[in-house]
Amino acid sequence: MTLKHISPAPKLRVRGALELAALSALVVTVGLAACSTVPTENASLQDAQRLYLKAQNEPTVTQLAVEEMRRAGDALRAAEKAQAAGEPLADVDHLSYVAAQRVRIAQDAATGRQADAVTAGAAAERNRLRLAQRTAEADNATRQLGVAQQRNATTSAALANAQQTNANTSAALANAQQGNADKTEQLNQAGALLNQAAAQSAEDQARLAQRKAQVEDLRAQIRDINGRETERGIVVTLGDLLFSTGQSQLKPEGARGLVKLADFLKRNPTRSAAIEGYTDSVGGEASNQALSDRRARAVMDALVGMGVSGTRLSSQGFGESRPVASNSSADGRRMNRRVEVVFAAQAGDLLVKP
Amino acid sequence: MQVFQHPSRPWPYTGLILGLAASVSLGLSACASAPMPVEQLAVADAALLRADNPATREQAGIELRMASTKLAAAHNAAKAGDADRARRLATEATVDAEAAEVHAQSLRAERAARDSEEAARVLREELKRKPPG
Repeated sequence: MTLKHISPAPKLRVRGALELAALSALVVTVGLAACSTVPTENASLQDAQRLYLKAQNEPTVTQLAVEEMRRAGDALRAAEKAQAAGEPLADVDHLSYVAAQRVRIAQDAATGRQADAVTAGAAAERNRLRLAQRTAEADNATRQLGVAQQRNATTSAALANAQQTNANTSAALANAQQGNADKTEQLNQAGALLNQAAAQSAEDQARLAQRKAQVEDLRAQIRDINGRETERGIVVTLGDLLFSTGQSQLKPEGARGLVKLADFLKRNPTRSAAIEGYTDSVGGEASNQALSDRRARAVMDALVGMGVSGTRLSSQGFGESRPVASNSSADGRRMNRRVEVVFAAQAGDLLVKP
Repeated sequence: MQVFQHPSRPWPYTGLILGLAASVSLGLSACASAPMPVEQLAVADAALLRADNPATREQAGIELRMASTKLAAAHNAAKAGDADRARRLATEATVDAEAAEVHAQSLRAERAARDSEEAARVLREELKRKPPG
């Protein structure tokens, strides 16, 4: 640097010489200062002092880096002592630098320890959180256990209920089976009754068939005796061929005609018969009445004579009343002269009416 | 005269160094032709050896390089016969090495604290989002 100022223009040589002189003076001063005893202001020392004061005002540094701050203080005092003793600038600067570095070390140490404390605190926080979580989980598990036990008890009760219901159902089933057995029994009985009824019905039908046969037989017999079924019963009309005119004595051929009638009465022993005599209007009314009485009586006597019980028979004359035809003609008069045998209608006769 | 002592780890050469320091310091004088600062140089060598590890290199590389440069300069000064300069540079190299180490440690501690707090925060969030049961 100094050499640079030697070569420039002559105009600057004076100034260069002045500078050289000043520089020489400074070098001498520094050389003197090295062994000087006069204390002067030192910037490095002031920096160190400021740093130290600042650190002392930081509680974290004074509390967490006690030993480091003590050594920084020792270093600073050494620097101050050197300055006060007027020791060389290089030594004061050097001691100040060391003191400042010691302060920085204390600050870094404090920062590191505070961070360590934070780390430890965070770890403790994590442990506390985990513990709280575990506790909550344990509480939860206990609660769930309680709930499960409660549910279990409820389920047991429900099970007991269900078993009771089951028992009831079984009883009901047994009842129903009993009822079913009863029903079956009733059904069997009904079936028996039905069979009986069917048998009865068959019997009835047989009886009916028999009755029909009987009725058919009766009708045949009635046809045989020339009978007619009327509202009064079965009426058989015997013509005037039985008797001679004015007589009440049966003619032999008339008596033969009564044989079939007697047979009919014998074959139907429950029937009774009314024998009625009628005349035409020729002759006196009283004599006709007497004649009709006698003739009816004669027929009854003839039937009794043929073996028919007299208790089942009755006879009555009706004279010229109840003509069945006009008395003005010979045919009409012949039809009015007659004897009617009326068999009383019996239960069952109507059944066979076609 | 300060001898570097790490708060957490015992310094194995403390006894030796104190002995040397005691014997050498008797002969020290500001303006006298001082003897070579053998002890300070040894302490500085040890301090650099100790501080120079990958972690410190990574987190306080500048401070460490400064200490290393001063140590080399101290040895050069000693070779040149400048005992005072050698002593000052050796002492500064020692304190610089210690500062670098402590600085790196504090940075690591702060990072660990941030990580730890973040972990706690994450756990808190997790527990808050997923209540027990």
